[in-house]
Amino acid sequence: MIEFQGVSKTFAGRTAVQALAEVDLSIRDGEFVALLGPSGCGKSTLLNLLAGFEPLSEGHLTFAGQEVRRPGPDRAVVFQEASLFPWLTVWDNVTFGPRVQRRSRAEYEERTREMLRLVGLEAFRDALPAQLSGGMRQRVGIARALVMNPRALLMDEPFGALDAQTRLAMQQLLLDVWQTLGIAVLFVTHDIDEAVLLADRICVMSARPGRITREIQVELPRPRSIDNLITPEFTAYKAMIMAEMKLAHGTH
Amino acid sequence: MAQAELLQAGQSASASKPARPASARPAAARGAAAFLTGTGGGRAVLAVILPLLVLVLWQLAGRGTGSLFGGVLPTPDRVWAAWEVWAFGKSGLGLNPYSGTWLANVLFSAQRVAQGFALATLVGIPLGILIGWNRLAAGSFDPLIQVLRPIPITAWLPFAIAVFGIQSMGAVFLIALGAFYPIVINTTAGARGVEKNWIRAALMMGARPSDILLRVVLPASLPSVFTGLRIGLGIGWTAVIVAEMVAVKSGLGYVLWDAYYIGRMDVVIADMASIGLLGFLSDRLILLLEHWVLGWRRLQSFQN
Ligand SMILES: Nc1ncnc2c1ncn2[C@@H]1O[C@H](COP(=O)(O)OP(=O)(O)OP(=O)(O)O)[C@@H](O)[C@H]1O
Ligand SMILES: [Mg+2]
Repeated sequence: MIEFQGVSKTFAGRTAVQALAEVDLSIRDGEFVALLGPSGCGKSTLLNLLAGFEPLSEGHLTFAGQEVRRPGPDRAVVFQEASLFPWLTVWDNVTFGPRVQRRSRAEYEERTREMLRLVGLEAFRDALPAQLSGGMRQRVGIARALVMNPRALLMDEPFGALDAQTRLAMQQLLLDVWQTLGIAVLFVTHDIDEAVLLADRICVMSARPGRITREIQVELPRPRSIDNLITPEFTAYKAMIMAEMKLAHGTH
Repeated sequence: MAQAELLQAGQSASASKPARPASARPAAARGAAAFLTGTGGGRAVLAVILPLLVLVLWQLAGRGTGSLFGGVLPTPDRVWAAWEVWAFGKSGLGLNPYSGTWLANVLFSAQRVAQGFALATLVGIPLGILIGWNRLAAGSFDPLIQVLRPIPITAWLPFAIAVFGIQSMGAVFLIALGAFYPIVINTTAGARGVEKNWIRAALMMGARPSDILLRVVLPASLPSVFTGLRIGLGIGWTAVIVAEMVAVKSGLGYVLWDAYYIGRMDVVIADMASIGLLGFLSDRLILLLEHWVLGWRRLQSFQN
C-alpha cells in the first residue's frame, strides 16, 4: 500500500545535505514496520516525506496507489512531543480533525468517545494539555490520529521523551490498539527493544547518506505484550539487530 | 550508596503526585512569605506603602505655604480640593472654567482612546497575522511599516490638523496610528513564532489555509497579541493627551494645557492623576480580558 521507489531527499542550503539516498521500501496494509537507526540517519526525513510535509528530490512515493503530494488524514501522524494545541481541551484536540473536515457532530462524537476510551482518557475530556502528564498527552496524540480513521499511522519516536515505565505502558497500549484496529504503522525509533517488541518488520538504516541497509522480519507470535521483552527469542532478535547496527554504524 | 539513595528518593518523589509545598508550611510563615514575595493580600499592602509615603512627605514638605518650589507644586490636599470642584462643582458659574466638567472631559478622552484603539486593533491584528504568515504580505507591508514607524506620532500632529481640522477625528487618527505599531509588530512576531509541528498537525488533520489561520495561528499568537495591545493602549493615552493639547478643544489633554496657561497648577496635577488612573484602569481591563482568554497559558506557565 505504501511504496518508496528510489526515493532520495537532499536539503538545499549553503551546504546541501543528502538525507536519503535511493530508498526502496514497501509496506502492506495493516503491517507494522519499525525504522531503526542512529541519530541523523534520515528516519524523520523518510517519515516526513510519507506524511507529505516535505517534497522528495528524486524517485516515486505512492500511498494507496496515489502519488504523495501533501499531508492528509489518511496518513495520521503522531509527533514526538505530541504537539497538541495547548489552548484546546482534550476533547477539542481530538475532534479538531473531524471539525476542520466539516464532519457532522453526530458522525464524530461517538468515535471520539470510543477513541478516548481506547487510550483510557474518557475522564479527561475537559482537561487542557498542560494538566496532563507526558504519557497522557501522547495518548491524546494517538486518539487524535485514530479518530480520523486513517489507513496508516506514522509515528516519529512517539515515546522517546517518556520515562522508562510510562514508555512500557505506552508500548503495551499501542500493541493493544494496533491489534484491535489493524492499520499500517510506520514507527520511527532508535530503541532496539521497542522495535522488536512492536514491529512485524524492522528496517535498519545507516547514515550519510541515509539508506535502508537491512530488513529483518520479526517472527515473534502475536498478540504480543511487554512480557515478551524477557523471552529468549526476543533476546536472540535483539542480539542479531545489535550486530546489524554495528555493521551499519561502521567502526566508530 | 548515597547516590543510590538519592536516586531512589528522587524517583519516589517524582512518582507520587507532587504535593504542594506551601500547604505544609504554617500559615503565619506563608503570610509573611506572601508579603515579601508580593503575592496574595500582601501584595496589595506592599503596593500602597510607597505611594502613601510619597504623598505624606509631599504634604509635609509643602506645609505652611501649601505648595513646593515657590508655588509650582501644590500640596495633595489642595490638589484634592481642586479636583472636587472640577468634578462636582456647579458648571458655568464663577471664575473657575473647569467647575463640574471632569466627567465630561474624562469621557471625551476615553472615547477617543477607545475609538482609536479599536481601529488600531481591527487593522493591526489581522494585518499582523497576515504579515507573519504570508511571505508576500510580509514583503509588501513590512518595509512600509518599518519606514513609517520611526516617525513619532507628535510629528504627525500638523498633518492630522491639516487633514482633520481641530476635531476629534485628528486625535483618533493619532491614537490609532500610535497604537497600531506595537499591535501589528507583536502580532507578527507571534504569528512567526508558531510551532512548526502545530501547523503540520493541522495539515495532516485536513485543515484548510483558513482553518490554519483562524484555529492555529491566531490562538497561538494571542499571547504576543496581548503584549502588543497593552503597549498600544499606553501609547494611545500618550497620543490622546498630545492631540488634545494641540488639536482639539476638549478632554483631559486640553484641560491640562489650558489650566497650565492660567496658572492653575492644582488642576494640572489633578488632571495628571486622572490620566494615570484612567491609563491604569484601562490596562487592568485588558489584563482581565487576557486572563480570561489565555487561561490555558497561565496553566502552562504554572506547571513548567
Ligand atoms: N530541514 C532540514 N534542512 C537541512 N537539513 C536537514 C533538515 N532536516 C533534516 N536535515 C538533515 O538530514 C539528516 C537526517 O535528519 P533526520 O531528522 O531525518 O534524522 P533522524 O534519523 O530523524 O535523526 P534523530 O534520530 O536524531 O531524530 C541530518 O543530517 C539532518 O541534519
Ligand atoms: Mg528524527
